[in-house]
Amino acid sequence: MKKKSMKNPLKKRVWRELAGDWKKNLLVSFFLILTIGFVAGMYVANGSMLTAIKDSKTLYRQEDGHFEFKDELDTDTKKELSEGKLAKIPGYKASDYKETPLHIYENFYLNLTEDRNRDGKKDGDIRIYEKTDDINLPSVLKGRLPKTKNEIAIDRMHADNRNIRVGDQIDVSGETFTVTGLIAYVNYSTLYEKNTDTMFDALNFDVAMVTKEGFSRFDDNVHINYAFLYKHAPKNVIEEKKMADRVLTLLISHSMANNNALDDYLPRYANHAMTFAEDDIGGDEAMGSVLLYVLVVIIAFIFAITITTTITKEASAIGTLRATGYTREELIRHYITAPMIVTLFSAIAGNILGYTVFKNIVVKMYYNSYSLPVYHTVWNGQAFLRTTVVPAVLMFLVNLVIITRMLQHSPLNFLRHDLKKSGKGKAMRLPKWKFFRRFRLRIVFQNLPNYITLFLGVFFVMIMLAMSIGLPDTLAYYKKKAPDLMFAKYQYVLKRYKDPAGNLITTDNKDAEKFQLHTLQHKADQIEEEVSVYGILPDSKYVNMKKIRDLKEPYVYVSDGYLQKYGLKKGDKIRLDEKYENKHDTFRIAGFYKNCQTIAIFMPMENYRKTFHLKKEAFTGYLSDTPINDIPNRYKGVTITKKDIIKMCNQLDHSLGGYMIYYQVLCTLLSAVLIYLLTKIIIEKNETSISMTKILGYHNLEIAKLYLFPTTVLLLFFDGISVLLGTFAMNRLWQEMMRSYSGYFAFHVQPVGYVKMFLFVLVGYLIAMIIDFRRIQKIPLDQALKM
Amino acid sequence: MTKENKRFLDVVDLKKSYGSGETRQEVLRGMNFSVAKGEFCVLLGPSGSGKSTLLNIIGGIDHADSGYICIAGDRLEELNEKRLTEYRRQHLGYVFQMYNLIPNLNVKENIEVGAYLSQNSLDIDDLLHTLGLYEHRHKLPNQLSGGQQQRVSIARAIVKNPDILLCDEPTGALDYNTSKEILKLIEEVNQKYGNTVIMVTHNEAIRLMADHVVKLRDGVVRKNETNDHKISAMDLEW
Repeated sequence: MKKKSMKNPLKKRVWRELAGDWKKNLLVSFFLILTIGFVAGMYVANGSMLTAIKDSKTLYRQEDGHFEFKDELDTDTKKELSEGKLAKIPGYKASDYKETPLHIYENFYLNLTEDRNRDGKKDGDIRIYEKTDDINLPSVLKGRLPKTKNEIAIDRMHADNRNIRVGDQIDVSGETFTVTGLIAYVNYSTLYEKNTDTMFDALNFDVAMVTKEGFSRFDDNVHINYAFLYKHAPKNVIEEKKMADRVLTLLISHSMANNNALDDYLPRYANHAMTFAEDDIGGDEAMGSVLLYVLVVIIAFIFAITITTTITKEASAIGTLRATGYTREELIRHYITAPMIVTLFSAIAGNILGYTVFKNIVVKMYYNSYSLPVYHTVWNGQAFLRTTVVPAVLMFLVNLVIITRMLQHSPLNFLRHDLKKSGKGKAMRLPKWKFFRRFRLRIVFQNLPNYITLFLGVFFVMIMLAMSIGLPDTLAYYKKKAPDLMFAKYQYVLKRYKDPAGNLITTDNKDAEKFQLHTLQHKADQIEEEVSVYGILPDSKYVNMKKIRDLKEPYVYVSDGYLQKYGLKKGDKIRLDEKYENKHDTFRIAGFYKNCQTIAIFMPMENYRKTFHLKKEAFTGYLSDTPINDIPNRYKGVTITKKDIIKMCNQLDHSLGGYMIYYQVLCTLLSAVLIYLLTKIIIEKNETSISMTKILGYHNLEIAKLYLFPTTVLLLFFDGISVLLGTFAMNRLWQEMMRSYSGYFAFHVQPVGYVKMFLFVLVGYLIAMIIDFRRIQKIPLDQALKM
Repeated sequence: MTKENKRFLDVVDLKKSYGSGETRQEVLRGMNFSVAKGEFCVLLGPSGSGKSTLLNIIGGIDHADSGYICIAGDRLEELNEKRLTEYRRQHLGYVFQMYNLIPNLNVKENIEVGAYLSQNSLDIDDLLHTLGLYEHRHKLPNQLSGGQQQRVSIARAIVKNPDILLCDEPTGALDYNTSKEILKLIEEVNQKYGNTVIMVTHNEAIRLMADHVVKLRDGVVRKNETNDHKISAMDLEW
């Protein structure tokens, strides 16, 4: 006899279990590593990128906001503004105003046209700024900043998208420039041309820097834009918003005092060009994590089912171990070790790949969408928590619950193989069907947990498939439908409705029809949505609503997009706020206008004028199906065309579209793996029975019909129902996603898309079925005799 | 009555039934006997006499409806599940008719599974030699014959040097010669290590090698006798 302490010998078994079931463990690890790697890469890339963005705000002197006046400010006004002093206007009161001193910087710009191939045709729009060292500085990603009047530095992402290189020449409104550098302006991390745009446009919109001399090569209307920094930085977002409101009060007072129109005011926090990338980079994490957790839970169930089968098989040995003194906890620890090892190994490998390979992929995706500064990889605690700790805890909990439940049985129950909680081995009575049908039904009942997990797995895959098939479908659908969704091919918004002589600006174009347009804000939970308020003619040929003629205040019609995005219904009240004033209007919904996907409301022109206290002859511009050429360009403000409507589709297609094919392949593989793992368990559980049927003289095909047919029928059912449920779930996710965007377009899957979704999973199953059939073929005859 | 004439295990008025109503079946109907420390005790009886149920209650893996088992002064029915596990861990070794080995552990590792539970386990290599398993120590259970597997199961039970070795029909699945070898082995273990052995069997011949024979029928003790003329397992015939 000797005293000694030894390691639990069952531990040796864990490694053999892992090696023995290497195919399953390899596949599970493969998917976990890929998913964990991608999510970790996402967190690391996000963390590093957000750090770079945050640091760049100080490093590149990002503005706290900007404002634009019609005319340049005089020195006195600038001084008063910088001291935060309200203009002295008789009778003007701003009781809650507190002085908000500012540093003010000239940040003038020009909106020009870009001709990349210098063929004399416009390829896109470009906004050029004069080189400055004071505010909104660029990060140089390639080349250098311009030094002479013929040099220009353009946005890096736009250059990448349009294949413009350092050294290339481009024409800007007819003037030729040589590109000396590719830059990322700190105030244009996302290329929003206008803050009201539904989506940024890195394909057709560019920002650039030229020298002072280069800037003076143009005599177009200069935008008198001033950027500002608070002299006393706000402590938090709430304070920043309060200060921004005070700045607006300050600007309005000086606008009124000097009769100088305030054309634009945009505090930093409301500027999509500065905030969108930052918000979006954070937003991807939640979705990635949820996908990872769902996958981990499904894999945890696969492990749990496998372990349950093993425990059932090893009931005698477990009974003996328990009878000789092994505790339940020791056995739970033993059985839970394998899935934990696989999870932790995958997490470590995934994290390594996350920090190396996947981080670069995600960073590339971001650089493909946003104009971001140079970044450095930083350690991310969240990545470790979300991709290692949480999956490990999920895996542990799911397996702990199921294994503990399984090991609740007494040693005697294990020795007697009596492991059913209820029923005590009584077979369920089945109708007097044919033998084969009853046999198959028994297989279904025997493997219910497997089939439930299979359903959840197929459903999960289908959500991802709905995304990968639905997104391109949706974009294609809206691109195609865009002309139908516009009530006129051209919407001309005029700068003013009277010329300097006081005459109304008119056109001889027979298609032209006057309309009114104003933008109000719908304050939602996540964003302040901009709502286009239209005043239209009662007999409008473009906005065809017969009953609009009889509409009384405050009733309005609401666009279909507005209805769908916020779930509005007839009779609802909607409160819309003025953007730069402390005023709001309340409307009541009379009905819906179907052919409009933008966020808009409609009312007769007469009601519009009353609502906004306008003169009888006032109007905003013209709707027309043909271009209006007889109105001078100087009176035209904005022209909305099909291009503006499909801008969002083009950008999403560019950023994500290319990945969707890979995503579809990944989903098919994932479905094949999930189905393979679960059907493998079913066959393994029945190996002895299958062997016995072989001894009895059944052919492999007959056996496959017995054991694979129930799975096929159920899989087809799950596949079909999951197409509908997965699309429904994706639709809800899409709705949620849209809430953080301005504007709206509904998720749309074309009929052929549903067929594709069904077929992709079916292909996954066919792959798994071939492997399962070979497994059945390989089961030896003496398997049954070993028992 | 006993080898050392010292009571180690008492079975007192033990009753046990299964089912209820019309299907109620009384398996043990008031059993009383004692076993001495180091004794080789055989529980003999036909199928359905309650011998396995009795063994399971002694082993702490089943519960009596009334009556009690007292081992070295401790009454089993007073122990909660945790303490019962501890009791089994410290005092019991179990050998079953089916060997119940862990399929993906080799012979030596299967024995280590038992050794792990004890602070004063026997030397595994010694035991492998004693049981004639040394040259098979790296084999997996499915590479062994039935008799060899049962040897491993006995080794797993006795390696932790238990006070009591419970054997439930250990030769039930073996042929004549192998059965005798296994019985011989248990006999040697009993003699060498001094464990109390309680063996359940329906084989009348085995009583001849026991110190103490308890004959059961219909859930009661029909005979409780010592065997003063015991013979070696190898001399048994049936």
